[in-house]
Amino acid sequence: MSRQTNDGYYEAHWPRSERQQRARPLAPRLASLQGKTVAQLWDQLFKGDVVFELLEEALKARFPDVKFVSWREFGSTHGGEEKAALAALPGRFRELGVDAVISGMAC
Amino acid sequence: MLRASAVCEAAGYPTSSLTCEGFLRQAAATSVGLGMPNIPVALVPGHIGNKSEDELRRDILEVTAQKVIENLTLAPAAQAGQAEPAPRDIVVRGGFGEVNRYFYAHEFSDGLPIVPPTREAIGAFLAFTERDSDESLGVLLPDRRAATVWSIAVNGVMAGCRPEYMPVLVALIEAMCDPEYGVEHSGNTPGGDTLIILNGPLIKELGFNYTQGALRDGFLPNTSIGRFWRLYLRNVAGFLPHKTDKATYGNTWRVVLAENEDVLARIGWEPTSVEMGFAAGDNTVTIARYTGGGSLSSVSGSTPEQMLPYLADSVQKFNNWQITFTTSHGNGTLRPLVVVSPIIAETIAKAGWKKSDVKKYLYEHARIPAWEFERQLHEWNIRGVWDLKDDVTAGRIPKAFYESDDPNRMVPIVWEPGDFMIAVAGDPLRNNAYVFAHNGFLGYPVGKKIQLPKDWQRLLAGRQ
Repeated sequence: MSRQTNDGYYEAHWPRSERQQRARPLAPRLASLQGKTVAQLWDQLFKGDVVFELLEEALKARFPDVKFVSWREFGSTHGGEEKAALAALPGRFRELGVDAVISGMAC
Repeated sequence: MLRASAVCEAAGYPTSSLTCEGFLRQAAATSVGLGMPNIPVALVPGHIGNKSEDELRRDILEVTAQKVIENLTLAPAAQAGQAEPAPRDIVVRGGFGEVNRYFYAHEFSDGLPIVPPTREAIGAFLAFTERDSDESLGVLLPDRRAATVWSIAVNGVMAGCRPEYMPVLVALIEAMCDPEYGVEHSGNTPGGDTLIILNGPLIKELGFNYTQGALRDGFLPNTSIGRFWRLYLRNVAGFLPHKTDKATYGNTWRVVLAENEDVLARIGWEPTSVEMGFAAGDNTVTIARYTGGGSLSSVSGSTPEQMLPYLADSVQKFNNWQITFTTSHGNGTLRPLVVVSPIIAETIAKAGWKKSDVKKYLYEHARIPAWEFERQLHEWNIRGVWDLKDDVTAGRIPKAFYESDDPNRMVPIVWEPGDFMIAVAGDPLRNNAYVFAHNGFLGYPVGKKIQLPKDWQRLLAGRQ
């Protein structure tokens, strides 16, 4: 019985292409949330309104002077107008004195 | 959500991204494409949609809140990038089985055998385009890789396409790169799949099926080009199941739908390509992403008035939760597609009705009571802070959605008649139809003209 196979011989190229995004640094972290202003960003899906209320309660218990800017200030961060909504964020943060951001919901 | 966080981090604001347990791997993979592989996330245990108030409260207070504090105050450890081959590297040498085992093990294939992308096979595809093989047609999320002509040829070979399909493949990736389509949403949980509609003389030149068995595998161009689309999403855009492709339930790729242009010409209805803004006779691809739908058996009757109630009823029923895209959240991007068989189109057209008449009928009759529209999204789905009155009062959606306080008023499921799309294909002598439930801005319809090389006929003759 022949043991020869006809599996052929191939030199196959990589099917992906080069990533165009190089690693970028994250923003500096805060020393504490005490006295800081935290913006809430929400895609208006998956009970984020309830989650942000609970987070406010928990964070204020630890940092009594922490302040929040409601998700209502920014509109949805996901939807038909996502690109425009995200582009406007840095400017709005400056106007509102934001120091940090909580963004939801990935569900 | 991570895209929003990345914008904030780049602008100098530390973030914490609230992430349900099942999405941690997606977040990890997506963050690499965003250039921030160490962007911090705060775990939300389980899935938020199925927790009682007490369970949610406990999880947020006892688990998520602490992670949020850490995310905003402690610098995450840096993550080293992973070395990758260069774009034209040979990654495996060996027999057919060995190549396929390697490609499957490295998540390059869909589980079926691929045709090994050798230099010779890739070159045959590149001969069917005048574009430079290094040219990039765009950058695709979530991996943020360059959509090069070379990579199109490689994945075309793998999918089992013939080299002469290359102009179609290039047009498809141009469409995939179009921001209006929204390829970055291709891994969302409802698991939508793209449908490719083909128009023009290429349908016959390349032997696409457009009659009985439309949307069925078994026809080389229809099937292999559909497979190419999925492979390209996997290998270049970067949508991988269990990572960035979060389809709860997916489908195998959709085979290409080629329209029956003979029938369209006979009844005087414009093909989809013309509705997308191209000239009659242009070779075009139109893509859109659909999350569901189904067939309608036996659309009976000899007049539009007898046939269209069944179509309108089915369009409304198949586009169920998808009406979220009709609200301000979706900015009115719902575009349901109805594919009718030739005999249905011919019977409707015989009464003098144009496509636009059918769309107007669907707009006026594919409606649901306002209370049902709101219950679907407000109570059953995921949009608890929304209602029609607010959207209309704020001028975010058309007035047709709130003309009175009567909860039984009938409201449309799209913003205007032209939002409906109608294509003609399938068994010429069977009165069936197919409704596609559209995925809104997460796969909005986009059309592209297929550019043929100057010596197309000679090249094609050489292949045949």
